[in-house]
Amino acid sequence: MALRPVTSSKRVRVVGRRVVVVSVVVLQLALIARGYWSDHKEFAFQMFPEASTWRADVVRVTTDGRRVPVEVPWSGYRWDELVSSRGLSYPSVRHHADAGLDNQLAFLDAALDWVADNTPRDRETRYLEARVTAWHNREPPTVEVLRSDVR
Amino acid sequence: MNVATAAARPVRGLLDRLDELLGRPVSMRALALLRVLTGPIVLLHLAPFLSDTLDGQTYRDAFHEPYAAWYPEAPEPVYIGLLWLGAVAAVAMSLGFLTRLATTATFAIVTWNLFLSTTHFHNNRAYLVIVLAVLALTPSGRDPWAPGWPLWLLRFECAAIYGASGLSKLLDPDWFGGTVTWQRVVRARDELDWLPDWTVSVLTDRGFHTGAAKFIVLTELFIAIGLWRRGTRYVAVWVAVVFHVSIEMSASVQIFSLLAIAVLLIWAVPSTRDRVLRVDPADAGQRRLAAVVRRLDWLARFRVEHGQQLELVDRDGSTLRGAPAVGFALSRLPLTAWFALPALLLPWVRRGR
Repeated sequence: MALRPVTSSKRVRVVGRRVVVVSVVVLQLALIARGYWSDHKEFAFQMFPEASTWRADVVRVTTDGRRVPVEVPWSGYRWDELVSSRGLSYPSVRHHADAGLDNQLAFLDAALDWVADNTPRDRETRYLEARVTAWHNREPPTVEVLRSDVR
Repeated sequence: MNVATAAARPVRGLLDRLDELLGRPVSMRALALLRVLTGPIVLLHLAPFLSDTLDGQTYRDAFHEPYAAWYPEAPEPVYIGLLWLGAVAAVAMSLGFLTRLATTATFAIVTWNLFLSTTHFHNNRAYLVIVLAVLALTPSGRDPWAPGWPLWLLRFECAAIYGASGLSKLLDPDWFGGTVTWQRVVRARDELDWLPDWTVSVLTDRGFHTGAAKFIVLTELFIAIGLWRRGTRYVAVWVAVVFHVSIEMSASVQIFSLLAIAVLLIWAVPSTRDRVLRVDPADAGQRRLAAVVRRLDWLARFRVEHGQQLELVDRDGSTLRGAPAVGFALSRLPLTAWFALPALLLPWVRRGR
């Protein structure tokens, strides 16, 4: 009778490590598969996926309809200070899409929303818009328009 | 015996074998050494975040994108404090001070920081989180023996990373056909000025990339598969080191190269002191070899003993003498292995076995 608790805890350990190992393996394989359709490809380990490049004309569309390039500082804000990561600081310059076009444009889209939401001193901008030209590897360029939420 | 019982038997046998493999005690020496090496890598990883804090900046001062609204964020002073605590924990982890606690704290802080924003995410950081998770699960100590499952799990992750990378390129016609590498090199032509003209000409030639891309993809897949087989493991490790050095020289990959090379340690057979190196103490050269082996044998491969001549007894009982024994010993030390492994292919070394 005295052996029963020891045996039981050993059984829990055995089953526990089996569950942990199988779960991690299945999860890792699922994340690798998910990398083929998700924008950010977390834990999918697709290294240097594309030679694609992109550039974008990003403007602020004001309440009176003007389209002002974000390269012009406004209300004490500078685009390259607000958006300083993921190769988005100078969108008008043609860049390599390090982790693929889908990833890059998802970041640009999210950055437009973030800037729209986090510039409280700006009282004239209605929304931000990016006219993106993208070159997927060696294919001809495609043009796409991204917009932030309306402020 | 009914049908259900008969069908359950092979499943039961498979589970028993899996449990035996996961629970078999093995040496955790390689993971202990990896823990020492991972501390400085964590510091390199945290350096840009810490540098920003010194300038009064954090991720919250610029564009960032939380993964989920419910994910816990900390007030800025707490965030900065935790980053510095992570750096201190990484140092403690390497030095072996409160090792388990320090490793767990390092893992928790690095992982929490990674998932604060999609903009923080990079493949090298994901790999670091995986390594730290396994290290946090590993018993501490210089040479602990414990159930091998954390080691097998990290081996799986290591191979999966090469496999996932190679497979994604294999399935992409632009990659496997050479378009991606060719376009990257052509666009970076201005950065190749330091190379001789003929080299630039070759590197920017479309035809070169048709072959080179396949070579890269097959190299990654070979590493992923070759690491699992004893017969190809040393070649896979050797190729992986060359592969990572090449990447480091040609691209900016943050800590990836250092971490990936360090993780290769886990492919050493997880047993210790199962080879014997005998040296003649009267011979100055052999004494020097013994000293080198004692100092650099970080994975504890050898017992060094006194004998009549230079002699190395492998774990299968085969014996090497003279220069082949020196080459073999150096090929089993982490710091000299990459240089010494090719020597094992020399005919006179092979004949020495």
